[in-house]
Amino acid sequence: MSAGGTASLPAVGAVLPASLPQFAHIRRYWDPLHDSFAAKLLPGEYYVTIAAELICTVLGSCVSACVRDAELGIGGMNHFMLPLDSCRGERGWGAATSAATRYGNVAMERLIGDVLAAGARLEHLEFKLVGGGKVLAALTDVGHANIQFVRAYLKERGLAVVGEDLGDVYPRKVHFYPASGRVRVKKLLSTRTGTIYAREHNYLREVNGALPEVSAAGNRGVAP
Amino acid sequence: MKIMIVDDSAAMRMIVKKTLRQAGFEGHEISEAEDGVKALAAIESSSPDLVLSDWNMPRMTGIELLERLAAAGLRFIFGFITTEATLEQRTRATTAGASFLISKPFTPETFKAALAPHIH
Repeated sequence: MSAGGTASLPAVGAVLPASLPQFAHIRRYWDPLHDSFAAKLLPGEYYVTIAAELICTVLGSCVSACVRDAELGIGGMNHFMLPLDSCRGERGWGAATSAATRYGNVAMERLIGDVLAAGARLEHLEFKLVGGGKVLAALTDVGHANIQFVRAYLKERGLAVVGEDLGDVYPRKVHFYPASGRVRVKKLLSTRTGTIYAREHNYLREVNGALPEVSAAGNRGVAP
Repeated sequence: MKIMIVDDSAAMRMIVKKTLRQAGFEGHEISEAEDGVKALAAIESSSPDLVLSDWNMPRMTGIELLERLAAAGLRFIFGFITTEATLEQRTRATTAGASFLISKPFTPETFKAALAPHIH
């Protein structure tokens, strides 16, 4: 954070660090509040970086796994919506491969695969888990299912979880700094969750093809 | 020795390879397959000495793979690496000819204990 509360500008000559080629579609920008370049993830996206930048996203019932090589500072984050079981047992590798990272098992595989491809070592990986709030009162507890999935996934593989901020009823804003491993979580107030509610609801609708469409404005204050 | 790792999780295949190294089983020729169908085809052409397979996989599960191989009369060491290991699963695995069943999460010590009698 910059001194005196004034928004900072990137240092003279500083340019957005190049992303790894497979992440050219991810939205990246200078974040003056955090004095850092940032990559912003939408549901179903994931991002891996070898540069000093932060990765941020907003989570409702979705879960993000933040992973880094604790020695090299290479890391990444995903943002998944559903564990694998919602995919009728097909594990997400089927026809809709482009959208497959909405599923936890695919999102975890891709994240780990790309972090290792960027030079991280499997034995140095550390995970922090965030999200999985019960924010959609009317629906089944997707957040809980996501939490159970990601814990079991990492436990099965003997991978180290060094921090968690999971569950409860809050949406969360997450900032992850792969270089240092720092994760900052801001729990959002319910009156500000209209957008997240609408995004998650419509995302579930897209995945399940059943729910009616809602807008952010129409649901402001309605979500828990 | 030719070792084949069968698991639909690429991360898990890497972890199995790493654990093999950590358990001291080095210098073996290791191949991978991501489900039973691909493993079956690869096994028929490359005839591995040892297969380490997950239980739950899409298209063809590990136990279906083993039962197919047993029916075809193929002979090699077959072991499972799986999360759930109920008595029923263990019985079915043993009946089909599995040599051992390693539960996840595992350690290099688990691997040593299970594999030492079979790898030289």
